[in-house]
Amino acid sequence: MWGFEMLTYNIQDGFLEAVVRGHRSGLLTVADYNNLCQCESLEDIKLNLTATDYGTYLSNEASPLYTTTIVEKCTKKLVDDWVKMRANADEKLGQFLDYCTYGHMIDNVVLIVTGTLHERDVQELLDKCHPLGMFDSIATLAVASNMRELYRLVLVDTPLAPYFSENLSHEDLDEMNIEIMRNTLYKAYLDDFAHFCESLGGTTGEVMGDLLAFETDRRALNITLNSIGTELTREDRKKLYSNFGLLYPHGHNELAQAEDFDQIRAAMEKVPAYASIFSKLGFGESQMLDKLLYEEEVKRCVMCFEQQFHYTPFYAYMKLREQEIRNIMWISECVAQDQKARITDGIVYTF
Amino acid sequence: MSGGRARYIVPPTVTTLGQMKLRLVGATKGHALLKKKADALTMRFRQILKEIIEKKEGMGDIMKHAFFSLTEAVYSSGESVKNTIFDNVETATIKVNGGLDNVAGVKIPKFAAEVIPGETKMDLTGLGRGGQQLQSCRKSYIKSIELLVALANLQTAFVTLDEALKVTNRRVNALENVVKPMIENTISYIKGELDELEREEFFRLKKVQKNKQKQAAAQVARQELENMAANGSTLETAEEENFDLPPLKAGAGKTSSLLNEKDDDIIY
Repeated sequence: MWGFEMLTYNIQDGFLEAVVRGHRSGLLTVADYNNLCQCESLEDIKLNLTATDYGTYLSNEASPLYTTTIVEKCTKKLVDDWVKMRANADEKLGQFLDYCTYGHMIDNVVLIVTGTLHERDVQELLDKCHPLGMFDSIATLAVASNMRELYRLVLVDTPLAPYFSENLSHEDLDEMNIEIMRNTLYKAYLDDFAHFCESLGGTTGEVMGDLLAFETDRRALNITLNSIGTELTREDRKKLYSNFGLLYPHGHNELAQAEDFDQIRAAMEKVPAYASIFSKLGFGESQMLDKLLYEEEVKRCVMCFEQQFHYTPFYAYMKLREQEIRNIMWISECVAQDQKARITDGIVYTF
Repeated sequence: MSGGRARYIVPPTVTTLGQMKLRLVGATKGHALLKKKADALTMRFRQILKEIIEKKEGMGDIMKHAFFSLTEAVYSSGESVKNTIFDNVETATIKVNGGLDNVAGVKIPKFAAEVIPGETKMDLTGLGRGGQQLQSCRKSYIKSIELLVALANLQTAFVTLDEALKVTNRRVNALENVVKPMIENTISYIKGELDELEREEFFRLKKVQKNKQKQAAAQVARQELENMAANGSTLETAEEENFDLPPLKAGAGKTSSLLNEKDDDIIY
């Protein structure tokens, strides 16, 4: 159906696309952010947010207000939107929406697994899980006492099962550092997601391909940056990079060898798309990198709304909302901690 | 209590006087020693106070920085990173060691933070995103914990020293304003009493002597009369006898004469 989505797309997914575009216009604008930045207290922030899409979620919050409460309520808004869309989606789109949430699901599984290994209360762990990453059998994760049983009893029934079986041996399950496991799973997930999008084809495949390539390259960059000075070997590091993206495969080789920030930078600048990001950074500065990468992601997500008749807006909407929640968290923390001077350091303007 | 004339209730004797003098010497010595101790404590006290002020002024910034670095970490690695960290913690990396310090005989509790070296599982936390922020957050929190321990150490020392200082000062003041004046008062009282006793004794002796002389004079006069009545021829001999008696007038006028004379009634 390459290039002919417009003929059939609206039959099944037209309504939901309208919905997601509606949600998109509910995102905070620069004017909203400016108002939020003027706030003197969390109460003011709440007042400002009441005038936005978050209004119904925050208006009944009693004082004293905390940043976590605000973030929690804003996340609830995203989750509610998402659940409604998921309920209305037909097969293909539904699968796509599920794929978008697997990242959270991996986090939740890892959370429960580590929690169980440290003998924490299951209910307490479930409360901490991200609501977007919930699946039916999640509570039963805690019945297993070791990783092998966990896989045999619970994980086989989850969508994550292939990621486990293809990438981790039984020995790995028992001994592997939990962070490496998380990142291995994430790599498998991104590979799988990219594959799925490709199979969808059309505009979805094209635009999602771009976004996922960026996502995976950013991951590779972060993993490299964060593993400098740790006991993670170069081979292990390389195993965590996904098998696609603009850096694959030569960039990955260079990243795997990198020992400091300047080498990473040299490796990244060979890709024109990323050279522009790094040119904004001063030499030897890695602190601002996160924000620049977030900005790039937001830019790409916003751009994908320009085209119609594809699934990417749903993914982009989730990413944008999450960034918005991060922004709100940043602003609230700055206000609460009286660090107004730093307030612009963390906001990534959406529109 | 510390009124001008307060004194111990003691019998005013020479023995007690000796005792009191000894006590006064002791009190003076004790006072000097305690004064020295109080001075040493005050010096240390001031020093600690200075350090506390310095530390507290720095603390605001460091804590602010630490809290904000947490925000940065959460910003770049997501809310869920907190749970990951909670679950990965097994033993404390910083332990506080307790000990005792000795300042002029006052025992002061001493705390010291000790970072237990060794590889932590935390190194790879946030590998996918935000790992660096987490590490810097960790560093700034370690810094603030160390500062907190140092402050706790100083504050405890401060409180303990304060108490010790109060007790010592109270003792110094008590010795200076109550005990020593009281002993001094007692000593002067005993001295006064002793003098008084001496004067009374002297007066009594004089009185006795006077009585004696009076009696003697009366007897002589009576004898003379009798003699005169018996025969006038013996008058000359009687008058000679009269001259043998000690000169009464001169004896009464001069005090020293009493001491120079021998009298059977005077025992000492």
